[in-house]
Amino acid sequence: MLKNIRSIFCAIGFFIMSSTALAADASFADYKYVLHISDMDPSKQGLILNNAVNLLEAYPPGAVEIEIVAYGPGLRLMFAQNVNAKRVDSLSQSGVKFSACGNTLKAMTTQLGYEPKLNPVAQVVPGGIVRIGELVKQGYIYVKP
Amino acid sequence: MGEKKLFKRTLVGTTFTVCLAVAGTASALDWLMLQGTEPDGASAPVKVWGFIQANYQKDYSTANAGGAYVPAKLIGPNLNAQSGFTLAHAQVGVRGTGFPLDEHINYFMLLEAGNAATNRSSSGSNGVVVTDASATLNYIKGARVRVGLFKYPGSEEGLQSLVKTDYINFTEGANFLLLERFPNATYTANVGPFTQAQLQNGSNINAFTGTVGGFRDTGVQVFDSFDLGKDWNLSYAAMLGNGSGIEFDNVDGQYDQYLYISAEKNLASTGPANGLKFFAWNQSGQRLADVTNDTVANRKLYDRKRSGLGVKYMAKPYRATFEYITADGMIFEGPDKPSYYFANTANPAGTNNGADAKANAWYLDGGWYIPGTKWELDARYDILDANTGRNDEHKFSKWTLGTQYNINPMAKVTANYEIRTYDCTASSPQCTNADANLKGVGNKFSLQVTAAF
Repeated sequence: MLKNIRSIFCAIGFFIMSSTALAADASFADYKYVLHISDMDPSKQGLILNNAVNLLEAYPPGAVEIEIVAYGPGLRLMFAQNVNAKRVDSLSQSGVKFSACGNTLKAMTTQLGYEPKLNPVAQVVPGGIVRIGELVKQGYIYVKP
Repeated sequence: MGEKKLFKRTLVGTTFTVCLAVAGTASALDWLMLQGTEPDGASAPVKVWGFIQANYQKDYSTANAGGAYVPAKLIGPNLNAQSGFTLAHAQVGVRGTGFPLDEHINYFMLLEAGNAATNRSSSGSNGVVVTDASATLNYIKGARVRVGLFKYPGSEEGLQSLVKTDYINFTEGANFLLLERFPNATYTANVGPFTQAQLQNGSNINAFTGTVGGFRDTGVQVFDSFDLGKDWNLSYAAMLGNGSGIEFDNVDGQYDQYLYISAEKNLASTGPANGLKFFAWNQSGQRLADVTNDTVANRKLYDRKRSGLGVKYMAKPYRATFEYITADGMIFEGPDKPSYYFANTANPAGTNNGADAKANAWYLDGGWYIPGTKWELDARYDILDANTGRNDEHKFSKWTLGTQYNINPMAKVTANYEIRTYDCTASSPQCTNADANLKGVGNKFSLQVTAAF
């Protein structure tokens, strides 16, 4: 009897956890975009932020979900001292997600001798390229400006 | 308290007050930051850039009674004709952050290949010259360090980019007091005036053996800009340099000191280049010069001091600039007078010449960008009062009326018409001689194409 009760609680707990996890990934947005930056070219930083702004303006509130994924030299966009940091913060407040590649961060830390400080709005993901793949599989439209 | 001491105390006090403020980003008018730093996290390892300025100029001055011309009546920097096409500037450079992950170090390099005063001397063209080569170390918050050859902190006219300059020729004040010509190693007698035939046969009215300074010096500069909030920034710079322009030389063993402070209101919300800036600057140094016509090599140190203050406002469609400059010592009297004599008769005592004279100058500039068009109208009045209080005091004033057609953000055509009045204002024999040449200085027309990349 006790075993059955424990099983029921486990099942309920699993259901709650699964639902929570699903809710985190699920989105009711009509359109979902993953914007990819890995370029050294500084002009690409402004371009990708402009893309995000234009997408937000093109759809009604809540109708579009945007995630910017950076790796390689493009990770500089998410440095705390980046000249575009205020725009990054502003977009984050508008719901745009920023994902920073953990692999790139490790490589940069090795080169620099210290870990570069990231903008607090950036979430470190294990691999930028992997994250893009996951998002595309979830139906995100992939754009690399 | 002396003016210089007061300026220094104000600068130091203000700098320490704002050191706690957060280092800010450069406004559109903050030349210190725009030229000395790269944008954090967004700089290229190598950014190639430069510009071409090709122009045509026609001088309407008349010859003196003997049919001869002085430099003010000829087109520079060649000074051998009254009209002609030239390539005023052909500059190419690279700048960036060599290792883009580390924003602590950036560099800036620029070469001049045009027919500019920075690469011409009495011996002709020096070919391509390095006008800028510097590295900036951004390790200390509030105290960035720039080393090498670069534009020293000073007058707005000298510090701003040539591409952004709204007129083809400098004001008289900038030309005579700031665009420095360096003394020759030995006393050199005045040359000219020359007739057209003499000029055509190779007579050279530029007797300076060195090139002009180009508002530059080699040394070390500490500087930064601070965000004061509400879109205001405060910038400062303190520099120590050789005092030798683009020449890598410090033969006098002395160093020039440069101080600069500015407050800028960023008006970028109304337009990308918009802003309001108040600025003040001071320079002091010494120069070795032999001003005695006695065949003895007896170079002597003379003080050279310059200071200025001004304001610049840019909020399209309007632009306005005012700057006032004072100068003490080493007053340039013309490329034909390398040992600083205004009059042809040399003074063996070494007095009564520009080496220990004073001067002041100011200009007021206004621009109107005609709404809905690519046209811009410009007007500037400038005046130079040199050798103040001397028996060869002279005043050069100039109206410059201009228009610019902005083909695109990187290219423009500029047309200027200068109405010039040159006078030696004292009632002395020196002025009688000088006015025989100066009264014939006439107007000048210039047309220039600027293409940047």
